[in-house]
Amino acid sequence: MGKLKKKGQAGAAKNYITRTQAVKKLQLSLPDFRKLCIWKGIYPREPRNRKKVSKSATASTTFYYTKDIQYLLHEPLLQKFREQKVLEKKISRALGRGDVSDAARLERNAARPDKTGKPRYTLNHVIRERYPTFIDALRDLDDCLSMLFLFANLPSTTAVPAKMIARCERLCLEFEHYLITSHSLRKSFLSIKGIYYQATIQGEDILWLVPYKFNQRVVGDVDFRIMGTFVEFYMTLLGFVNYRLYTSIGLKYPPKFDQLKDDQGAELGAFALEGVNIATKDDAKAITNGEAEHGPDPNVQAEVDKIVQQLRDESDEKAAEEGGAPEDAEGDEKPSDAIDKFEPVAPGGDVLPQPSYSSSDPSQLFSKFTFFLSRETPRQPLEFILRAFGCKRIGWDSVLGEGAFTTDESDPSITHQIVDRPVVQAATSEGGDGEDNQTSQKVGPNRRYPGRVYVQPQWVWDSVNDEELKSPELYAPGAALPPHLSPFVKPTQGQYDPTLPLEEQQTEGEAIDAELEDANGEGEESEVENDMSVASDDEEEDEGEGEEEDGDFGGFSEGEEEEASDDDEEEVTRQRQRELEAEISGRAVQSDKKNVDAKTKAKLEAKKALERKKKQEAEELERAKGMLSKKKRKLFEQMQYTNNKKSAEDLKLRQKRRKLEKERKA
Amino acid sequence: MGSKITDKKRKSKDSDSESEDELGNGLFDGVLSQSEDEEDYLPSDDGGEDEDADESESEGSDGFEDEGDEDEDEDGILSDDIPSDIDDEEKMDKLVKQQEGLEITEPGVDPKPKEKEEEQRNYRIERDANGGERYVYDEIDPVYDSDDTDAKGPVNTIGNIPLSFYDSYPHIGYDINGKKIMRPATGDALQSLLDSIEVPKGWTGLTDINTGNPLNLSQEELELVRRVQTGLLPDDLEDPYPDTVEYFTSIEEKMPLSSAPEPKRRFLPSKNEAKQIMKLVRAIREGRILPYKPPEEREREEEEQEEVHFDLWQNEEPQAPNPMHIPAPKLPPPGYDLSYNPPEEYLPSKEEREEWENADPEDREKEYLPQKYNALRKVPAWDNLVKERFERCMDLYLAPRVRKNRLNIDPNSLLPKLPSPSELKPFPTVVQTIFRGHDGRVRSVAIDPTGVALATGGDDGTVRVWELLTGRQVWSVKLSSDEPVNTVRWRPTKDAFVLAAAAGEEIFLMVPTHASVTPALDQASRDILAAGFGYATNGQQQSLPVGKEPPAKWARPGTKLEDEGVLIRITVRSTVKVINWHRRGDHFATVSPAGQRSSVAIHTLSKHLTQIPFRKLSGLAQTAAFHPLRPLFFVATQRTIRCYDLQKLELVKVVQPGAKWISSFDIHPGGDNLIVGSYDKRLLWHDLDLSNRPYKTMRFHSEAIRQVRYHKGGLPLFADASDDGSLQIFHGKVPNDQLENPTIVPVKMLKGHKVVNKLGVLDIDWHPREPWCVSAGADGTARLWM
Repeated sequence: MGKLKKKGQAGAAKNYITRTQAVKKLQLSLPDFRKLCIWKGIYPREPRNRKKVSKSATASTTFYYTKDIQYLLHEPLLQKFREQKVLEKKISRALGRGDVSDAARLERNAARPDKTGKPRYTLNHVIRERYPTFIDALRDLDDCLSMLFLFANLPSTTAVPAKMIARCERLCLEFEHYLITSHSLRKSFLSIKGIYYQATIQGEDILWLVPYKFNQRVVGDVDFRIMGTFVEFYMTLLGFVNYRLYTSIGLKYPPKFDQLKDDQGAELGAFALEGVNIATKDDAKAITNGEAEHGPDPNVQAEVDKIVQQLRDESDEKAAEEGGAPEDAEGDEKPSDAIDKFEPVAPGGDVLPQPSYSSSDPSQLFSKFTFFLSRETPRQPLEFILRAFGCKRIGWDSVLGEGAFTTDESDPSITHQIVDRPVVQAATSEGGDGEDNQTSQKVGPNRRYPGRVYVQPQWVWDSVNDEELKSPELYAPGAALPPHLSPFVKPTQGQYDPTLPLEEQQTEGEAIDAELEDANGEGEESEVENDMSVASDDEEEDEGEGEEEDGDFGGFSEGEEEEASDDDEEEVTRQRQRELEAEISGRAVQSDKKNVDAKTKAKLEAKKALERKKKQEAEELERAKGMLSKKKRKLFEQMQYTNNKKSAEDLKLRQKRRKLEKERKA
Repeated sequence: MGSKITDKKRKSKDSDSESEDELGNGLFDGVLSQSEDEEDYLPSDDGGEDEDADESESEGSDGFEDEGDEDEDEDGILSDDIPSDIDDEEKMDKLVKQQEGLEITEPGVDPKPKEKEEEQRNYRIERDANGGERYVYDEIDPVYDSDDTDAKGPVNTIGNIPLSFYDSYPHIGYDINGKKIMRPATGDALQSLLDSIEVPKGWTGLTDINTGNPLNLSQEELELVRRVQTGLLPDDLEDPYPDTVEYFTSIEEKMPLSSAPEPKRRFLPSKNEAKQIMKLVRAIREGRILPYKPPEEREREEEEQEEVHFDLWQNEEPQAPNPMHIPAPKLPPPGYDLSYNPPEEYLPSKEEREEWENADPEDREKEYLPQKYNALRKVPAWDNLVKERFERCMDLYLAPRVRKNRLNIDPNSLLPKLPSPSELKPFPTVVQTIFRGHDGRVRSVAIDPTGVALATGGDDGTVRVWELLTGRQVWSVKLSSDEPVNTVRWRPTKDAFVLAAAAGEEIFLMVPTHASVTPALDQASRDILAAGFGYATNGQQQSLPVGKEPPAKWARPGTKLEDEGVLIRITVRSTVKVINWHRRGDHFATVSPAGQRSSVAIHTLSKHLTQIPFRKLSGLAQTAAFHPLRPLFFVATQRTIRCYDLQKLELVKVVQPGAKWISSFDIHPGGDNLIVGSYDKRLLWHDLDLSNRPYKTMRFHSEAIRQVRYHKGGLPLFADASDDGSLQIFHGKVPNDQLENPTIVPVKMLKGHKVVNKLGVLDIDWHPREPWCVSAGADGTARLWM
């Protein structure tokens, strides 16, 4: 017999450590431990068997990997935390002695890291550890961006200092600038929670949520200390990510920030991007609106450019003529970064897919337009998204802040105007026109500048998501907007898709049901037309007797509906019985009335056949299930449960849609 | 000098007694104590007798007058040679005098202290050889006390009691030697009145406790008291903190002390200093020492410093992901229903809305209700955004992450591939014929190898033969009046028409008469049965040891039965429950579970020979059967099925179905598979090549399984009969490929037999070719299912 093994010396008992033990081992306070865990990305684990880990563990005990905690032991931040604790002790002791000046000295020294004072820490090494490569960092950027964008929109309180908010805002705007310059924004979605954006950077999809520009209400118990810890980490992370992104496209980071403009609400316009070298400088400058504003009239500029271009072309042509044929050939084969197209020379080879070149680059979707934002539209998201998709000239009402291309609504260069106000009745508009001194220079509510496209904001989003300009008529002011669909939903087989017509999605049974219903509706109508009294009598009978005896098709159809929702076996058999009866009675009715056509009957037959098939399938399924082991059967039933739930939801949606479509038709 | 000390003494003595309460001061106390010390050696004295009178006279007054001088040269206190001043007697007189008068006393008139000092000096000033002054001190009389500075003690030794106790005595106490201290004389009333009118200097109105004299303070003492009270130094020195007189720097010497030339280093800058400075410079350059900056500037700088950025991933190296690390799952992207303007079918109906609102926030499936706004400007802020973010944060750092394998597979792929029901056909589905006639249970059924006749045996002791399709009884014989017929089995070959039946301990072999039985066949059958008689008479006696009862007796059953067609009766030791024929029809095995060691017997028809193959069997034998192809023999005990090789006479295999009590088993015609029925409701399929353990366990019956049977005619069917009154038909296909597993599909549940006394179906048998089966029920019927 081997040596008896002591309990708790190996295995799960050693691999896991409770939170209290961890805190004791690290000699930290709980809040410090929490901070450390958040920054280092250490999270609790669920042991396979709690009892094996610790006998006294309750359901709420938190376990960590012992290795994780051991790894924390070498963390340089730990020393900083301890130093901080010592300092706080010193200060509190000084205050306890009533030695205010000493406390103040300590506090003051604390601000100077070089003296014996408050330890200042940086999280650089933590970020490098957690994200060994840049791609890793990008992968984890979702939460970071959502958090920082939220904090950028929070009101400042004691828990959320104004400085933090300002820094969050700056980082976010810098990130947005990168997206604008690199055209990496892909999709955006207006949800009830806020605006979702999706960007693709170096092949990583990043999805984040930006709240609408309102004062955020804080409901429920929210611990801002915890969020603050996260934000601290995320700010550092985004700073480094921004740096890397900026330098990757040859821009200097941090960009020049104009405090004055920012105070006037310029937001994106408060930054001036600078290239690291001259080559990129011109490009970078073109991004900002400020230059455009102070520069010459864009129209004039455009004409000048055109002339210059013409001149250049002419000279090129001359050169080409002079150079002759060989040079021409050279010119044709200009080296470029683009992927070459491989055409199969001989038939028989496999065709390899290549990234396609669409003639219209989605990132230049709005490049040709000049937008004007009315003052009721959300300026920040619109400006961002328009710029990210190539728009260079965006003007807005001066109340929306600084940095507009033009604040003059009547500017003739404007091609599109985004409005989000209801169409006002003519009578009221005349009255309101004179009073509104702020918009005195503007046209009346319903009047429009000719040669300009007026659209609601959703047009921008839908165009961006579909990568094509949507027809502006659908989005005209006052028009009922088409539904705004999430671009993030991947259509999966068998799931309800609102973009497809109902006929393509419904199951066979549903289709038959629907058609039957339609037919019944018609039949009833015709019945009513034929002899009112009989029909009404019949209907009364139906209502009175219910399931027992179905006098005519109306009753029958009711039964059908019930059946659709209920697939109990018993129900099915009873249904069948009823059906038979109905059939008999239906035939009788049919003989009375001539206009119930054979088509309905065929449908009924089909339905019955379908049902029979379904029943058979169910029977077979039962048999097959009988052959499964208990474990597998349970698994199967679980899967079946979720699938059924999903399909029930889809069914509900389809039903609702059918109803709506019917209403619309009627 | 000496006088000064005495003065001090006096003064202290005076103050000692009563002034203390008034002038309670530490400093003062110190002075007092010092004086006290010296008190004692007053009496012993040098030979200054002459001075005594003066001395005594000056006694009281001195105290005051001398004070002034005292300050000037305090230093020169010489304790040793202090001339004592007061003679005891004199002192007494004075005391008495004072006592007689009022308590308030007046010191004597002040004499000239200077002269007295001269007189008291204990040295002479002489001229020395140089003409300078020279002090010549008096000789000291070296008596015992002369040198004793410590000798001291109060004059009065009464202790701390009021002086009033001595009012009635002439003395006021005792001195150290025990002598009375006489009360000093006090002045008369007039004198005291005068005294009161003209208060002398330093009058305090107190009486010295030690001496009884009025206690007066000198001017000096008063000054001292005042100074102490005002917090000044008690001794009035001119300047306690005089400026230092710096002799070496302030006074410039006319001539240098040394004539050495000035060293060079005085003119050179200090190397050490330069070193120190360089140290500082270096520290500043390196930034270890920061020059002072106003706090605002410093703060601003710090802010700038915070935003130091660099390329963190400059030399990035991808690491293999830690297998233990589970990245946080991303939040799911928003669906259609989160849109501010969703398709209308996503909007909740009224009931759904109500349900959502009434539900507890934790129970809700979604934390939002889809909503539709017809313009972007109408979309409000989302209230829960901060909370949602917070919860996400909490999840990120507090939620245990577990990798859960989500089976993203089609659930239908889990289902076994079953042949379609049409492939499974044919199998029996309905009852075709019901054979009625038996009185009591039908215990056993068997269809003959040609598939025409059905034999049944029942509780009534009869064996009946029926036409299978019509249900007509064609033949019947009563084998026993009291024992039921436990089993009937046809001989499996078609060359003869022989039926074996067991009732009690007797086994009967018979040739029933039947329409399909031609006379030739009948004769052939009779020949087979009769062939053994001759052999038995010859062989059996030899093989059997004398005196031992043979395992079975083969005999003719008697003419009555012989007429009916029953040709042989074999009597064994205990009740036979099971008969199973060998495929060739020459051997058959019987099992009598109660028969101890002779429970299993193998009978040879051609030799009329009965053998008992097992001397000892572990467990009760339940049933036994021959392997359909090979010379193997299977015996089932309660728990296990053993397989023996009949040629090698050895155990080949032990099959362990795991059932508690095996009721029956059957071997697949292919020979590699086995089905076992058990009384604990289980039907077990064994693949003999695969394992000793069951390949499939089927539990579809609610009661014990009595009999299991494979179809022997090439159809992949098997059936079991149970006490719950039902038969279950299974499709059990054994593939030709060894690697494939058999497919077992339950196909039909045949119900029809009634349950009588908790017994349902007792036996089944398959038709040799058709998918038909026959069952024997406890309700007295046998049924044909097709």
